[in-house]
Amino acid sequence: MILTGSKIKEEVKNGNITIKPFSFGQVNPNSYNYRLGSTLKIFEKFDGSKSFFKEIKIPEKGYILEPQKMYLATTKEIIGSLQYAMSLIGRSSMGRYGLFLQCSANLGHTTSKHKWTLEIVAAIPIKLYPGMIIGQVSFWRNFGSVKKYKGRYGFLNHPQESFAPLSKQKNYDTNRK
Amino acid sequence: MILTGNKIIEEVKSGKIEIAPFDKKRITTNSYDLSLGDTLIRYKTGVIDPKQKTPHEEIKIPADGLVLQAGEFVLGHSKERIGSDFYVPLIHGKSGTARMGLFVHVTADLIDIGSHGVTTFQLYTTLPIRLHAGMLIAQVSFWVPFGDIVLYKGKYQNSTGPRPSMTYKDFKYDIFKKN
Repeated sequence: MILTGSKIKEEVKNGNITIKPFSFGQVNPNSYNYRLGSTLKIFEKFDGSKSFFKEIKIPEKGYILEPQKMYLATTKEIIGSLQYAMSLIGRSSMGRYGLFLQCSANLGHTTSKHKWTLEIVAAIPIKLYPGMIIGQVSFWRNFGSVKKYKGRYGFLNHPQESFAPLSKQKNYDTNRK
Repeated sequence: MILTGNKIIEEVKSGKIEIAPFDKKRITTNSYDLSLGDTLIRYKTGVIDPKQKTPHEEIKIPADGLVLQAGEFVLGHSKERIGSDFYVPLIHGKSGTARMGLFVHVTADLIDIGSHGVTTFQLYTTLPIRLHAGMLIAQVSFWVPFGDIVLYKGKYQNSTGPRPSMTYKDFKYDIFKKN
């Protein structure tokens, strides 16, 4: 079951959902509108096993994304929940401009809590401003007992590129303790 | 909880789900198939600036279809009017169109409860594809909400065709505010 906007407000009050900073004006009928943080990572090169990104502050006057390029950013808000699973997506007004806010990894694990990394791809050139309302996050009830998230991404607050090449290391699983 | 196809039929009959026109044959196990309407929108600008109104053109899909090149982005719309005051709709591609490399939305699959109208597709293709009006292109599923319902009253309500983004309107309501 997906939480309605009224339920999201209630659970923020009860502490079962964290959204910081939280603004009532950003609550939708069944999601919450999040803002874009001010840090952007721009893909630069791939060395055969790892991608390298350049980090910039998004200027107040805006930054133009080029199409078919990959960028990483974060939500301005710290978002998480001990009780609900999350789905973080773009808002329809940005989708209507062809802006991807994630690359098919919308699912947020129950018990993770952080500024989410956004995987941004623009279908057409578009200017982004720091702090603009850019996407939405919905909250979903769980069915079954919750096992605490122990991944490496769910507590980070800066745009984090993939750790994936580490998976080749033989102790990969111990990284997830 | 996601509604089954049988439950969708039941709720269309009871009026709790709006799908019009509705054809029982388009019900799947967990969704309803949506067809592509005949109008597309293409932005006519070098760079989108969400603070400004973006010029666009409307294109009618010709009888023999319209080819989108790989990497092209246009807005389309469902022929069907959809919505519900009781369930939350989610839009998905059909696996058949996805296998041709077509996105029908750009990470914005969630529809607000209480939003009614034809839905705008955000069409982005990774391969060349010929679009035909009336083709089954997407599907809508319905999900049970948890909590008190406050219905959508937003700016895209009662759309009758593809609707370009209206972020320039939000500007007045502080979407760019640096709180």
